[in-house]
Amino acid sequence: MIGGAAASLRICRLGLVIWGALMCLVLSGGRADAAAYDRARLIGQLCSAEASDVLHGLNGMLAEAPGGSLADGRWALGVAQAFSAKALRCGPDGHGFLALPSGEVDAVSLAPAAAPADSRAPLPSLRARRVLEQVDAALRVFVAAKAADRLDAVRTLARHSEGVPANLAQTALAGEHDPEVARALRAWLVEAGLHAPDVAARLAAIAALGGDARAQTANQLMSLRADPAYAADPRVAAALDAAIAHVRFWLRIGDALSLLYNGLSAGSVLFMSAAGLAIIFGLMGVINLAQGEFIMIGAYVTFSVQQTLGAFAPSWIAWYPLVAVPVVFLLTGAVGVVVEVAVIRHLYRRPLMTLLATWAISLLLINLVRVTFGTQNLQFRTPPYLTGGVRVVGDFLVTWNHLFAIGFALLAFAATQALLRLTDLGLFIRAVTQNRAMAGCVGVSTRRIDMAAFGFGAGLAGLGGLALSPIYNVNPTMGTGFIIDSFMVVVLGGVGSLFGTALAALGIGLVNVGIEPFYGAVAAKVIALLMIILLIQWRPEGLIPALGRR
Amino acid sequence: MTRITRRTTLQMTAAALAMPAIIRPAWAADTVKLGCLFSSSGTMANLEGRLNYVARMAAEEINASGGVLGRQVEIVVTNPASDWPTYAQMGRQLLQEQKVAALLGCWTSVSRKSVLPVVEQNNGLLFYPLHFEGEENSKNVVYMNSPPSSSVLPAVDYLMGPDGVGAKRFFMLGSDYVWPRTINKILKGYWTTKGIAPAAWREEYVPFGFSNFQNLVNQIRSFTSAGGGQPIVVLTVVGSSIPDFLREYTNQGLKPTDIPVLGLDMVEADLEGLNTTGLVGTLNCWAYLQNAPGPRNQKFLADWAAYVKKSGAPFSGTTVIDPMVSTYDSVRMWALAAQKAGSFDVPQVRGAFAGLTFDDPSGYTLSMNADNNYVARGVFIGSVNDKQGFDVLWQSKGTPKPVPFSPYS
Repeated sequence: MIGGAAASLRICRLGLVIWGALMCLVLSGGRADAAAYDRARLIGQLCSAEASDVLHGLNGMLAEAPGGSLADGRWALGVAQAFSAKALRCGPDGHGFLALPSGEVDAVSLAPAAAPADSRAPLPSLRARRVLEQVDAALRVFVAAKAADRLDAVRTLARHSEGVPANLAQTALAGEHDPEVARALRAWLVEAGLHAPDVAARLAAIAALGGDARAQTANQLMSLRADPAYAADPRVAAALDAAIAHVRFWLRIGDALSLLYNGLSAGSVLFMSAAGLAIIFGLMGVINLAQGEFIMIGAYVTFSVQQTLGAFAPSWIAWYPLVAVPVVFLLTGAVGVVVEVAVIRHLYRRPLMTLLATWAISLLLINLVRVTFGTQNLQFRTPPYLTGGVRVVGDFLVTWNHLFAIGFALLAFAATQALLRLTDLGLFIRAVTQNRAMAGCVGVSTRRIDMAAFGFGAGLAGLGGLALSPIYNVNPTMGTGFIIDSFMVVVLGGVGSLFGTALAALGIGLVNVGIEPFYGAVAAKVIALLMIILLIQWRPEGLIPALGRR
Repeated sequence: MTRITRRTTLQMTAAALAMPAIIRPAWAADTVKLGCLFSSSGTMANLEGRLNYVARMAAEEINASGGVLGRQVEIVVTNPASDWPTYAQMGRQLLQEQKVAALLGCWTSVSRKSVLPVVEQNNGLLFYPLHFEGEENSKNVVYMNSPPSSSVLPAVDYLMGPDGVGAKRFFMLGSDYVWPRTINKILKGYWTTKGIAPAAWREEYVPFGFSNFQNLVNQIRSFTSAGGGQPIVVLTVVGSSIPDFLREYTNQGLKPTDIPVLGLDMVEADLEGLNTTGLVGTLNCWAYLQNAPGPRNQKFLADWAAYVKKSGAPFSGTTVIDPMVSTYDSVRMWALAAQKAGSFDVPQVRGAFAGLTFDDPSGYTLSMNADNNYVARGVFIGSVNDKQGFDVLWQSKGTPKPVPFSPYS
C-alpha cells in the first residue's frame, strides 16, 4: 500500500513539474512598468501611532512587492529592515527618517537629513513583526544579490504564505536565473495550487504536500478532506486519503526517531558528566564532591580559549570547540593533579574526610571562579555548525549541538576505553584498583598512578564541560547540578566499569526521555529513579559489576 | 551518635558558612536594622544575590539624607542558600535575635510560603519584591509587586487582542510548584470566561532546574502546527530553565513570529549569555523594565552603575531588573511609613501604609490603600531585543488597583 502510494506520488511529482514549467511560460512577463511606490504615504503609515495604520502600510508593501521597480524594491527593503531594527525615526509631523550606521537620512528621498530631537523610534508590534518578516522576504526574492539569500527568502515565504500576493512567485520565477531558487519557487507554486479551480493542479499540490510529511501538512490535508468542496471529487478524495496516510506514517516514524534521538543525546550528556567520575569514584573509590566543578572549569577553559582565539586569531574562532579539546583536557587535568597532590593523597584511608575535603574544594573552586569571572551566564559564540539542525523525516529534527554531544561522548568513551585497555598506564590503573598492595609489590608506583588517574578523571570531566557548553548555561554553580546524576549513573553502571557507566547513562537517558511525553517530565524523573532502585535491588553491584577482589 | 551523611554535612557547612553574617555585632544603638533574606549561593544566587546590594544602596541613600527618625538604617544580610526551609530559619533569627524592624526577601513563592508562619508568629513585617500568584493576604507581608490581575492578565489580554497576535491557543509550560500552577489555574479560569474551550490549551510541568527541553520543544512544534488559531507559549519555568528553554526553542528553528513566548519570570539577567537575535519579539511582563522611559529611571540606572563600581558587587552594573527596583522601593516605602508613623513598631508602621505613595524609577506613582497590603503599580509588557534587553512594547495608562484574590481561580 505504502509502496503504491509512493510510486503514484512520484508520478504526480513529475506531472506537477511539467505543469509548473507550462505555467511559468504562460505567465512570464510580470514586473515591469508598474506604478512607483507612494513612498511618502507609506512612511506616513509606518509612522502612525495607530497599530492598524502600521499594519495597513506593511500589508501594502507586501502587496506591491512584485510590482515595483528594482530601485523601489531596494528602498522598501531598506525601510523594512530599518523598521524591524528600530532604526526608523518618526518626527512629530509624521516625517520619517532612517538612522543608518552611516548617518541619518530622510526616509523618502534617502538624502542625508537629521531627525528632529523629539522624534519617536516606533517598536513593531508582534503582529507587525510577522508581516515585516514577510515583506522582508518578499522584497529579497527580487532584490537580493546572492542566490542563497533569495532561496532563504523563498523558503520563508512558503512557510508563511498567508497574505502574500498570488502573483509573487510567478513574477519572481520569470526573472530568476539561479536553478535552485527557481526550483524552490516552482515547488511553492505547486503547493499554492491547492486551492486552484483546476483539478489537475489540486492533485499536483496534494501530491507535493503529501511528499513533505510535516504535522502542518497533515492538518492542512485533513481540513481539506473534511471540506465537501474538495472531497466531492473522487479523484481528489482518493489523492487526499493516500497523501494523509503517507504523511501520518512518516510522522509516526519521525516521532519515534525524535524520541530515540533525544534519549541518545540525554544519555550522552549524562555520560559526559559521569565519565570522569567513573574513573575517580569508579576505579579509585574517591567520593569526589568537586567533580561537578571540574566540569565547570572545563567549560570556563573552553570560554577562555574562545576569547583568546577571538582576540588573537579571529579567523579560527568558529573552530574553538575543537581547538579547546587538548587545552581543556590538560588544564582541567592539571587542576585535578593539584587537588590530588595537595589534599586527596593524604586522605585515601579516610573516605569521610575525603567527602568533607572535596566538598570544601568544590566551594572554593566555585567562589574562585565567581570572583574571577562573575556570576552571570557566559556567552558562547556558538559556531554556525552547532546551531540549528536539519529535518530528516516527518518532524524529526537532527539538531547539531546535540549531535555534537553524542559524537563527543562516543569519542570520549572510545578513547578512555582504549587508554584503560591498551596502554601501560591503563594496565597499571586497573592493577592498582584491583589490588593496591600487590601492584605496589610488583613495582608499580601507586602514588604516581593515583595522581595520573585522578588527573585523567578530572580532564575527562573538563571535556564534559566542553561538550555541554553549547547546550547548558555556563556559570560558576553549573557543576552542582551534575553531581547527583553522575553518582547515580556510576553506581547504577557498576562501580569500576566504564562500559557499565556508558550503558547506565544511555539507559537512564532513554528511559527518562521516553517516559516524558506520556506522563510529563516530573513523573518521568520519579519513574526513572524508581526503576534505578529496583535495578539496584536486583543487581546490587550495578549493571556490570567489576571483577576482582575488593 | 548520628551518622554523618552528605545531607548533614551540607547542612552543617551551609550553617557554618552563614554564621558570620548572622553574628555580626549589634554595636550601634542609633541604627535601625532591616534584614535581607536573599540567597547568595545555590540556584537562585545569580538573581537574588543582587537584591542584597540594592537594599544596601537604598539604605545608603536614606542615610545620606539623615536616616529615618534620626536613626541610620543598617542592612543585615543572610544567605538562605536557595534552600526553602532555611529562609524560615534565617527569618526567625533575624526577627528574634537581630530584632530587625522589617524583613526584605524571598524570590520564589515557595520560600515566601515557608517564611510566612515565622513572620506571622513573631508579628514581623516582610516586604516581598516579586510579582506572584496572589491568593494570599497576610497582615505581616507587604506585597510590593503585582498579583496576576495587574500583571499576567493584562499581558495575556494584550496577546489575545488585535494589537497583539489574536492568540487563540495556549501552551502553558512551567516549573512544578505553587506559582506556575496557580497562575495557570487562574489563566484557565479566565479563558473559560472568555469562551475558550479546554481543548485549546495544554499544560506541562518540569522539575526545578530542568534543562533538557528537546521533547517539550518538539511538543510545542506539533502544537503550533495543529491549526485552530494563533498559539502562544505561556512560560512559567524559573531560574536556569529559562535560558535552557530559549536555547532549545531557537535551536529547533522556532521563532517568536511563529509562536510567541510570554515568559512570566523572564528578566534581563536570564538573557545573559544568550544570542537573542532569534528571540526578538519574545515577551515578558513586569512592573518595571530597564528601558522604562523617564528621568527617574535614568537616575536609578546611573546610581546602580555607580554603586556597583564603588562596592565591587559581583553583578553587572548595566543590568537592572524589576525585583531590584521593587527591593529598592521596599526600603524606601518602609522608611516613608516609619517616618509617617513616627515609630519602628510593626503595628504603627502598618497603620501608616494606607495612603502612602512613592514615585519610583518605573515612572509610576506607587500607592497603598487601607484594604490590603498590596501595592498598586504600573504594568509593562517587554519585548526582547537583540541586545539581551527588553523594549517596552506596551505600558498601562495608570496603576490598576491590585486584586489579591482572583475571581478566576
